[in-house]
Amino acid sequence: MWQRRAFLKAAGVGFAAALLPRRAEALERAELIFASSIQKREGGFGAALVNEAGSVISTVELPDRGHDITFSPTTGQGVVFARQPGTFAVIFDPHGGAQPQTLTSIEGRHFFGHGAFSPDGKLLYATENDFDNARGVIGIYDVAGGYKRIGEFDTFGTGPHEMLLMPDGETFVVANGGIETHPDYGRTELNLDSMDPSIAFVDRRSGKLIGKLRLDGGLHQLSIRHMAFDHKGRVWFGCQFRGPSADRPQLVGYATRDGEIRLIELPDATLGELRNYIGSVAASADGGLIGVSSPEGNTILAIDPDTATVVASLGLENGCGIAPDSVGLVASSGEGALGGLAGSPAPLTTFELNFDNHLRLLKAV
Amino acid sequence: MRLLLAVVLALSLTPALAQEQKLTAEQVVSLAITEAIRPGFAQYAETAATLERDVAGLCGGPSEASLDVARTQFKAAVIAWSRVELYRLGPLMVENRYDKILFWPDRKGIALRQVQGVLADADPDAADPAKLGSKSVAMQGLGALEFLLFGTGAEQLNSAEGDFRCRYAHAITMLQAETAAALSAEWNDPAGISKRLLEPSEADPDYRGFREVAEALTGLLAHGTEAIRDQRLLPFLGRDGAAPKPKSALFWRSGMTVPSINANFEGLRALLEKSRIAEATTAENLWVSNSASFEFGNAERAGKVVTDPVEQALADPRQKKALDYLVIVTQSLDTILGENLAAALGLSVGFSSLDGD
Repeated sequence: MWQRRAFLKAAGVGFAAALLPRRAEALERAELIFASSIQKREGGFGAALVNEAGSVISTVELPDRGHDITFSPTTGQGVVFARQPGTFAVIFDPHGGAQPQTLTSIEGRHFFGHGAFSPDGKLLYATENDFDNARGVIGIYDVAGGYKRIGEFDTFGTGPHEMLLMPDGETFVVANGGIETHPDYGRTELNLDSMDPSIAFVDRRSGKLIGKLRLDGGLHQLSIRHMAFDHKGRVWFGCQFRGPSADRPQLVGYATRDGEIRLIELPDATLGELRNYIGSVAASADGGLIGVSSPEGNTILAIDPDTATVVASLGLENGCGIAPDSVGLVASSGEGALGGLAGSPAPLTTFELNFDNHLRLLKAV
Repeated sequence: MRLLLAVVLALSLTPALAQEQKLTAEQVVSLAITEAIRPGFAQYAETAATLERDVAGLCGGPSEASLDVARTQFKAAVIAWSRVELYRLGPLMVENRYDKILFWPDRKGIALRQVQGVLADADPDAADPAKLGSKSVAMQGLGALEFLLFGTGAEQLNSAEGDFRCRYAHAITMLQAETAAALSAEWNDPAGISKRLLEPSEADPDYRGFREVAEALTGLLAHGTEAIRDQRLLPFLGRDGAAPKPKSALFWRSGMTVPSINANFEGLRALLEKSRIAEATTAENLWVSNSASFEFGNAERAGKVVTDPVEQALADPRQKKALDYLVIVTQSLDTILGENLAAALGLSVGFSSLDGD
């Protein structure tokens, strides 16, 4: 049941629930809308809503480069976070009803580019850097209070990147990439010799650590960064390797709240195509497919989580964003391309803009 | 007969001329290696070897004069290193070599703490290169060596009082000379990195074709200007209007902060111009290398304005302005090298892949 809930979350439960049944049915059939941070060809940055047919539906201006976008499950409001080490998040109404609002990180913190809403839409959570202490935190924002920051939890690691709310609605899972950065040095990675990446499960209410998982076997330079849930509720993750470039460690794996963590065995040739760099991870609508991307290797893979094998792939120059459509996966690229794989009927189209690393499905417009 | 010869010459010259207009990827890679990278590492290896001898001379005959010689040669080694340190591929990127030569950024001042600890304890292992080499990288780099030669207490190096300090410094220079020699030798090894770059193949995990080699070289240029800004200039200039922090500058004790940055620019400029990489693009894209050379010229002029050690330079409005201007030059070069040059070469050193998010 959870996968449906997750899907509805992306679709905007509040909006769909307010529609009459026939109208809602029509919406089900209507074109799919995707959201992504973008770089404009004429210069400048923004976030855009686009459809599979190649049209830009709307855009929001951003002061600098954005990263991921998350949507409120109740109001449909979107939040686009600055790419690290950015200090802004822009809240926008995909239906165009309200003016965008800009949120600024507090002193001593910056955003890492990802976040999530609580299931009731009352709180927004964001991964942030307590950079003077090289400590990852989850910033907590009160939506009704104008997104006032009301507190923070520890991520129990350094350099947290993507965070997701588990299907239980009560547990955060955080990818602590393990890489220390400090805004005094831009994006320079300061601790490659002593990295300690992990996946942390954190109680949403208390902020207490439920469990922390690490990859063993000398993989401390394998930065765990992006995640998605499969239909069994397992957390699939994608990594980026910061060790010697000629090494080719496995890059994709899954973890569970019960404490299991493992890397799957991708064949050497496939692994070679990923160039030690997974840029995003996403699940299909039913959780029966996991998509992973490598913009460095110009490769998108669809993996069957039950057999841990690659079932489809797409060569896409600078391809990074992945989102589900109704049947398969849709991928986007830094060159402005968008196209489907693994059963998706979306044709390959090109936009006059460059997509940033993440693509999100939004069905309510 | 003469006419016939002229026709034959014209026929044989035409294809050659056409080729000259656009260099092949292989020619560019070959020029990058033979004209920029190998000479750069050879120079670094030579200065590092001389530094080792000069510091040995200082330890054997401590005096004001021998201390001067060692300090002067340290500066020469820093310049030679700064010219090649942004050539971050191949031999420099294995066995922790980069960090061993220079542990930087060192936000928490680890090198200083460790060096002071060694001096306080007169830890004999630190004066033994074999043992020092397996200790913390921060203890064996140019930062540690700079403190020993220029930092608090360095004046004792002119007499027997500085014996331990000098032997520790000498151990560092031995390790540095060894690494520098290895880097140069590996770049000169015809079966090594040069072959990988000149003969990319599907079997090579890093360089499967010339496109990936070209991406790597272009990436060096684009990442290089970013590193100058993020790791060298902004940490002491202060971001977003923050107060300058002269002691967060690399090599402030020896007054080599800005000379080192100037050499960083020179190294990138040498790679760009000597490889003639822009000539691998179509004629209408040659403006890219012209504008890059223009900006490197601006960097050189601004760098020359800064003549004082960094603390005084920051207090002088004219020199401070020149330093701020260097930041702007790096931003402009980011666009020219990371976007325009990459696009002209048909590469995607582009938007989503050049970041690590």
